[in-house]
Amino acid sequence: MAETPKTDTDALARREPETPARDPIISRSTSNILLVCALLLMASLAWALYDEAYGQRPWKGMQQEFVSRYNRYLKRLKRTGTQSEKDVKESEAYKELDLAARDAEQAAAPRKKEIDNEIKFIDSQLAAVTDPFQNKRGRITVINYNVETSDESDKKELREDVEEEKRERVEVKMPVDPNSGKTEDQKLNYTELEQKYLTLKDRKAVLLTERAEVSKEADELKKTRDTYLKDNVIGLSAEQIDRLIERNDKFDYSLRQINVNGDQIVDRCETCHLGIREPLELKPINFKRTGKKLDANARAFVSHPSKELLQIHNPERFGCSSCHGGNGRATTSIVKGHGRHRFWLHPLHERENMEAGCQQCHSQDRVLQGANVLTKGKDLFQERGCVGCHRYEGFDRETDGLANSRQTVKQLEEQLAANDREARQLDVEAGTVADETEAQAKLARAVALRVTNSQLEARIEQLNVQARYLMQDQKKVGPNLKDVRLKLRKEWIPAWLKDPQGFRPGTKMPTFWYLNPDHELSKNIKQNADTERAAIAAYLWQSSFEGQLPKQEPGDATHGKELFETKGCMACHSIGEGVENQVGGTFAANLTRVGEKADFNYIVRWIYNPRERWAPYCPKEKRDLTRADYEKNGKPYRFDTEGHSKCPNDGAELQVQNMTVMPNFRLSEQESRDIATYLFSLGKGAQWPDASFMDDPKLKDQGAFYIKQYGCANCHEIRGFEDEQRIGKELTAEGSTPIERLDFALLTHDAEKGINPFTDKEYEAKDGKEAKWYNHKGFFEHKLEEPGIYDKGKEKEPRDHLRMPDPYLTPEWKNALTTFLLGSVGVEGANVPASFFYQPSDRRKDIQDGWWVIKKYNCMGCHSVQVGQKSVLQELPQYLTPEGKDQLPPALMTEGARVDPNWLLRFLTDPSLSNGSDDPTVRAHSGMAGRNNSGQPSGSGSSGGATSSQPQQGGAAASNQPQGDGGGEAASGAGASGAGQQNNEAREMPPQPGANKNGVRLYLKARMPTFNFSPNELRTLVRFFLAVSSQQEPFIKEPINPLTDQERNLARQLFTSQQAPCLKCHLTGNPDHDKNASAPNFLQAGERLKPGWTFRWLLDPQKVIPGTAMPSELFKRDGERWVFNGELPESFNEYKGDHADLLVRYMLQLTPAEQSRLAAGSPSATGGTTTTGATTNAAAQSSTHHSRPARAKATATGRQKKYRQRAGLVRSPAGKRRGVAVVRARGSRESVVFARQYGVGYSPPSGHSW
Amino acid sequence: MPFKQVRRILVLMLAVAMLSFMLACGDSDDEDEVAEDASTGTAGTPYKPSGNEGSITGAVNFTGEAPAPKPISMDADAACAQNNPNPQTEDVVVKDGKLANVLVYIKDGKTADGKSITGFAFDIPATEVTLDQKGCHYVPHVLGIMAGQKLKVTNSDPTAHNVHPSPKSNKEWNQSQPAGAQPIIQTFTRAEVVVPVKCNQHPWMKANIGVLKHPLYSVSGENGAFEIKGVPPGTYTVATWHERYGEKTQSVTVGAKETKTQDFTVDASAGKTASLRLLEVMPAIEFPSASKH
Repeated sequence: MAETPKTDTDALARREPETPARDPIISRSTSNILLVCALLLMASLAWALYDEAYGQRPWKGMQQEFVSRYNRYLKRLKRTGTQSEKDVKESEAYKELDLAARDAEQAAAPRKKEIDNEIKFIDSQLAAVTDPFQNKRGRITVINYNVETSDESDKKELREDVEEEKRERVEVKMPVDPNSGKTEDQKLNYTELEQKYLTLKDRKAVLLTERAEVSKEADELKKTRDTYLKDNVIGLSAEQIDRLIERNDKFDYSLRQINVNGDQIVDRCETCHLGIREPLELKPINFKRTGKKLDANARAFVSHPSKELLQIHNPERFGCSSCHGGNGRATTSIVKGHGRHRFWLHPLHERENMEAGCQQCHSQDRVLQGANVLTKGKDLFQERGCVGCHRYEGFDRETDGLANSRQTVKQLEEQLAANDREARQLDVEAGTVADETEAQAKLARAVALRVTNSQLEARIEQLNVQARYLMQDQKKVGPNLKDVRLKLRKEWIPAWLKDPQGFRPGTKMPTFWYLNPDHELSKNIKQNADTERAAIAAYLWQSSFEGQLPKQEPGDATHGKELFETKGCMACHSIGEGVENQVGGTFAANLTRVGEKADFNYIVRWIYNPRERWAPYCPKEKRDLTRADYEKNGKPYRFDTEGHSKCPNDGAELQVQNMTVMPNFRLSEQESRDIATYLFSLGKGAQWPDASFMDDPKLKDQGAFYIKQYGCANCHEIRGFEDEQRIGKELTAEGSTPIERLDFALLTHDAEKGINPFTDKEYEAKDGKEAKWYNHKGFFEHKLEEPGIYDKGKEKEPRDHLRMPDPYLTPEWKNALTTFLLGSVGVEGANVPASFFYQPSDRRKDIQDGWWVIKKYNCMGCHSVQVGQKSVLQELPQYLTPEGKDQLPPALMTEGARVDPNWLLRFLTDPSLSNGSDDPTVRAHSGMAGRNNSGQPSGSGSSGGATSSQPQQGGAAASNQPQGDGGGEAASGAGASGAGQQNNEAREMPPQPGANKNGVRLYLKARMPTFNFSPNELRTLVRFFLAVSSQQEPFIKEPINPLTDQERNLARQLFTSQQAPCLKCHLTGNPDHDKNASAPNFLQAGERLKPGWTFRWLLDPQKVIPGTAMPSELFKRDGERWVFNGELPESFNEYKGDHADLLVRYMLQLTPAEQSRLAAGSPSATGGTTTTGATTNAAAQSSTHHSRPARAKATATGRQKKYRQRAGLVRSPAGKRRGVAVVRARGSRESVVFARQYGVGYSPPSGHSW
Repeated sequence: MPFKQVRRILVLMLAVAMLSFMLACGDSDDEDEVAEDASTGTAGTPYKPSGNEGSITGAVNFTGEAPAPKPISMDADAACAQNNPNPQTEDVVVKDGKLANVLVYIKDGKTADGKSITGFAFDIPATEVTLDQKGCHYVPHVLGIMAGQKLKVTNSDPTAHNVHPSPKSNKEWNQSQPAGAQPIIQTFTRAEVVVPVKCNQHPWMKANIGVLKHPLYSVSGENGAFEIKGVPPGTYTVATWHERYGEKTQSVTVGAKETKTQDFTVDASAGKTASLRLLEVMPAIEFPSASKH
């Protein structure tokens, strides 16, 4: 601080402070601030640089990690990979090929060298000639051009120039000696040059061709050797691995981006997921760091698990996020990239729901190969009855189709009337206009309109036919409840309504918790559950049909068990108490306790023919018809799909069948009784509390209210509710509902915090998954777990509570349904443009349509329809043994290529092929196969035309038709009249729509049932099989080369030869021979099989149907032809044709006469097992199937008599098969055959007694 | 000069150290991989015989009443009877209380030095195992083979056969073999106890092939005797498998160079295999009451 100097201006000086205030700017050091600022600046610069380089590009680290881990793996692989290559190179086969290649190369070498030398010499000569020749030619061309463009006067002079040019000689240094390279000067004019040039060129071409010819053999051998190496080295060769390592060394660290569809989709996923498209199959374990656990990186670097899927969905075209979801643009963090944010509309699907992505484009596919979880979800949605209450586009094909065609008919009819009116007006106008031409034009237009109308009429006709078929194909998820009085034990109904899962664990019938006061959710909201339940039960009981079913005697439970386990029932139904002990399919009900709830007579009738309806329903009059309706109109009381489906009152199409998918197994009454007896023997004879309240008429109206409320009629047929609308929400686009519109209600907080609403504890987050569940997945999962969950804690009127019942679902099923729902985003909500949707119009469309039918009837329960798919039967214990495998229904992977579609159509109509003659070659080729035929009740079997010609309709056979008295008054509308319909008269069982046997594989115990497909479904199915096997449609049969007499003799010799034991297994129609056969009759081949398929089948059956009883290697290659692989009859020495082809032609042109010649010369089939039942066998010799001879003579009335006789027979109880001998007191021949069939003729390998 | 030398040595040492380190790393990687795969495939640590191997011998006793063999009718194929005048079933062959056709094999267990026996890869014998078809019977009826070992199927009959194994996790095949044809050579690549074999043309013809990961198996002969040779010292779960009576296990300890005698017993009541018992959940009993309601 400096002293202020004294001046004379004191005042001034005084004014100034003695010691000036400390000036912060001057006096205080700012270095600290500056330092801080500088540091901050430095830091932010550093941060900016870092962020630029790494923060915003975390993927760089990932890429480095990938390269280092991948290289390490490749190097490791190289050691094992090259080992494999070395092994192959050291193998005998390779060495042989290598030697041959070298030998050939050596052999060709001398000549090749000569040629090479000559070519070299020619090249040197050419080199000498080419330049001068081309120069000369150029000059001549120039002059010629001048000639063309010059005046006429100059042309002559110029032409002389050309001649001059041509005459002029040029000096050429022509090589003359190939070895020394000596040259000789030659003087050549243009013509000589040209000639020389061309000669040399020609010679060179000749030599080059020869050279290729000479080295051809060696080149081909080398190629074979290299192909062998390629085919036999497992994984990549060392060379390929080296290339990959080399590529990694030059790795380009940069963003990887895919732009799809005009930048609608920009995906940078492969920036981190670098292994996705690698040629190697890369698994997380391959990227594991030594001594460390699998980390997220290791999982991120894997290759796509399905290369096939990538091939058909090329990422360059589809991107990644279009299938997987996620935010394809984001690269700064995993969370952002995966779109795991509540405001991102398409978050990455979790691994277990990955296939949800498929659904947005494949919503129309019922079965999607490669997406098993999604397909399972669709299966469940349909089979478990979700579709009953929830509309989902595509799932309700019949009802939608019906509405459509009715709508279209209406429009067309209007059009028709309009056209008619216009035509009439035009006629009139034509008479009045002055102008002739105009009049003609008007008349012509009127004519055109009339023709158009005739076309429209044809369309309407078609649509009406369609409507009929669609009605036939309409099915319900649950059983028909108009039958409850006939079918059920009264007291059981309320018990069932209360707790279906308690009675039958795993059943499709969900628990309506509102009806169960013990249920936790209903405790608080339902005081009147008991009343509601009673009311519903009362309505069902009182609105049901009444009547008397034919009385059935008990049958033989042991035989019933045998039938149940072998006929194929278990492809859909299961047996066994509790979910974990059930054996069999889940497509239909578990039948263990059916005896505790149902009426025996009803079940017998049901097994006999489940489609047999008690009374037809008229949708136009909205009521069930009675016998009186028919009598009033003078028509017999008959209703079926075979031309008796119209209402006698107004001609409307009726519902004439039970709306069940259960087919008809064409069993005899006795067999139906046996099966029912077996099923009834399983129950424990439970007692249910008294339910006399169900007869209280006051409850009925109340019941109707609750039935409407809970949507019972969405799955069941209930009188008065036939036209009931769905009560559930449409789910077609449920997955794209905005999250805030999913009603989490009071659980929103729990969901956001990740709290488990069932335990009130927090979910554990593991495997990188979040515990929070405020997303679509969480919503669906919790709702499926407990549908009423979002009502928890809400103050609501009972009727406002969610009505959705609690379905039985395993965790796996819940996941499948969640996947399906997550993918259900509709057109608007899709992540991809609509042009990506899979909407084929070609054969693939036929496949798409076919799956709906195949899944609807559970064809895959018995058949393997798709490559790699296992049927339900295949997994059942009785089909796991080698013997069991031979009893499996045929696999259908190549069905379209195998059989004639016309034949297939007839077979699907009547799988017993019983109509007309038993001899297929005699049977006529009726275009629309069998529809009319199957209309004939041919229960009398397959033995000749005698029965099929008998009229079975109308008066003469009336007693055979379903009968009932028209006593009751028809109830119209919902619960209008108190009592249900009265149909009190006992009814006889109608004849079966086919014979009690299989049509082709008579030896199989599993039975192809009659499904009563409408022509619509028949067509869809046949088209499906054709399309799957890439067959053309319509099918036109290829002519087959006829056999010469000599060829026929040869083929016959081969067939009967000990070495070619075709007839050891194949049926011949001779009962003695056939009793143990295990393959189809050749007589059917001509009509059934396609020659091309049969040829391929003969060469390698295992390739067509893996595991088939037909062996491979029956033929071996001999030059261009296939010859039989075994000792041949001598007569074959002269035969130069293809043996397999000969046999195919012989088989496909086999006549019955020829077959009997064959059979005479061959031993009987050997397909049985041990002969412990030899004596019984002899007794049962005359038939392959017991019902055939028994039925052969039966007439309409005779049959009934027989039934009664049989029913009246007294039988002793059957003992267990093992240990105790089966003693039967039955006198009929049937019993003998039964004994053979399942008693003693068949002895399972390990002595089990199913 | 000395400095340069030292440096060279240092560099050399460093290089060696790094090399060995790298090698060590590499090796441990491999072990990781192997450990992951060992339980499934045929891969494993190659087994080197130590010279200490012992063996397990003994007999399979049968208790209870043996079902009598049933005669088989071979009328259908005259050629069959030529070579087999008195054909009968061979699923249970008992003689003097000894059961033949039992596959005895080491199923699991640890060697004396604590290594899992299933983790080893044993050398696959170059010799073939022969299955003959004679008199429309398979000879032998039960046989063992190592995964990867060649199976040679011959036909000594004057008639055609087809050989049709139905394995679960091996490739299925079904090959025709006419009289006098070349032997069929096939291999099973995976261990599987057992693969049933049948002939579709003569359905009584059955054989059972036990495919094993190691050569430590034996099939009991007519006198019930078996011998498993080359067993490394250790404690094992030894299984007996019979086509009718199923599988049974027992623990056996074998010392170094020891010939351990161990008999097994199969009881007639053992009966069916588990999978088939499932269907017996609900046996059919007589109808209770049809007219209860």
